[in-house]
Amino acid sequence: MRLQLGYVPLSDAAVLIAAVECGFAAEEGVAADLVPEPSWSTLRDKLALGLLDGAHMLAPLALACHLGLSGPQARLVAPAALARNGNAVTVSLPLWQAMAPASDALPEVARALATVARARAREGRPLTLATVHPFSSHTYQVRRLLALGGGGLDLVRLVVVPPPRTADSLERGEIDGFCVGAPWNSVAVAAGAGRIAALGCEIAPDCPEKVLALPVEMAASAPPLLRALRRAARWCAEPEHWPDLAARLAGAGHLGIDQDLVLRGLSGRLRLGPDGPERATPDYLRLGEEALAPAPDAVDWMLAEMAAAGQIAAAEPLRAEAATLYRPDLRAG
Amino acid sequence: MTSSDRPPVPPDQSLTIAVVDPSRARAAVLEEGLRAVEGARVVVIPDTADLPERLTALAPDVVVIHLESPSRDLLEQMFGVSRLVERPVAMFVDRSDAAMMQAAVDAGISAYIVDGLRAERIKPIIDIAILRFNAFARLQRELSEARGELADRKLIERAKGILMTAKGLTEDEAYKQLRRKAMNEKRKIVDIARAIVTAADLLG
Repeated sequence: MRLQLGYVPLSDAAVLIAAVECGFAAEEGVAADLVPEPSWSTLRDKLALGLLDGAHMLAPLALACHLGLSGPQARLVAPAALARNGNAVTVSLPLWQAMAPASDALPEVARALATVARARAREGRPLTLATVHPFSSHTYQVRRLLALGGGGLDLVRLVVVPPPRTADSLERGEIDGFCVGAPWNSVAVAAGAGRIAALGCEIAPDCPEKVLALPVEMAASAPPLLRALRRAARWCAEPEHWPDLAARLAGAGHLGIDQDLVLRGLSGRLRLGPDGPERATPDYLRLGEEALAPAPDAVDWMLAEMAAAGQIAAAEPLRAEAATLYRPDLRAG
Repeated sequence: MTSSDRPPVPPDQSLTIAVVDPSRARAAVLEEGLRAVEGARVVVIPDTADLPERLTALAPDVVVIHLESPSRDLLEQMFGVSRLVERPVAMFVDRSDAAMMQAAVDAGISAYIVDGLRAERIKPIIDIAILRFNAFARLQRELSEARGELADRKLIERAKGILMTAKGLTEDEAYKQLRRKAMNEKRKIVDIARAIVTAADLLG
């Protein structure tokens, strides 16, 4: 049988895409088709209803689906993570000017953002910040950034904007900033619409990002798929392969953008603003084999963040059920 | 029939349905079908960046959105956790009805429904949406098949013409030669015709 594997076109789907398109899956005896999905909600529903056999998925959304908090409830297993980090908070050029942080150091930026957010909330026209889905590390990173500056999510209007529309929305002034994964921050910078203000890998280093999620009935297909993913992850982590990988991801079948913008994220060499400095951050997006191992505290972290964002009342009652999502033991073989 | 042709609907029976679809043609087909729902006001909202403002202003009871719309995640934020819209939490169709959910997703539909709307009001809306979306998909398939057949026929006509001129055959003989060649090579007539037309283009 051919596995139907869903993904949302993003740089951190690289390992899954490489596993299928570079032949690693076939060499492990796994026949698979990649199915691009236009939104996380659609990917989640198709996975939950059995129209997909597995997917590249936001870790918090996989947990929310597993717990019945989002969409049709479905028992999922996450045998591996697919990447770490890769997000950034980008703000409009007017907001960056209003913030005027003393430097790019995270505490300075956080304080500047929270100060503007508080002033705008007081004036009755709160900042509008976008993420990619309510159940996402992006939502939690926005909350943490505001908290670090002494504020909270209650100061802002939080919305969701599909990643390919983020640069446009920023330019039109519909949003004041967003937190999104690579390559869309670089796209906004290249479009002259935004300034990268903070990197996800500094706000919440190595927090749960994307996982490979399978319906529990598909758990048996995990070991060969994971062998393919491990080989693909090693391939993706080699700097000499980045130009190839960037060209592949940037193609019309996936992202449909300039491959140099994808390369910026893969190499961690980000241009922060249209005229701004370039910054080298090797951990900006981690795709290597070690990024596949789920962090031991991933579930606790996500439950605590869900509670802090007001998505659940308390973490404790959900802990036992939540602990059944990650199944690193399926890596055996 | 439009809603003005009917007797007035009691206020508690009235219902606002928003249709969001990247395809304007499909949205129109769905809108027309949903007008049959008792007391329904159907509004098509373009799938553009100002969708949240338009939806907030409309405050619909039901949002029917195509699965291929990237704006679905935006609706989850609006109707889910954020409470941007004054009304209470909405959900993906009726979670208790797995068969309906499956049929809806198969047809390419997602619906967000304001909590508290009674199940008997929801079902006909989803049923109509499923029927209309499936019918639209079938029409599109038939249209593309028809286009393909027309193109095939044109190609065969050209190949026949080439054979007739080159070999002094009648139309019937030319067609028989094409058919025999296709049978011998276990290929489709249109493939043979394409080869002849390509060759003639190159040589001509």
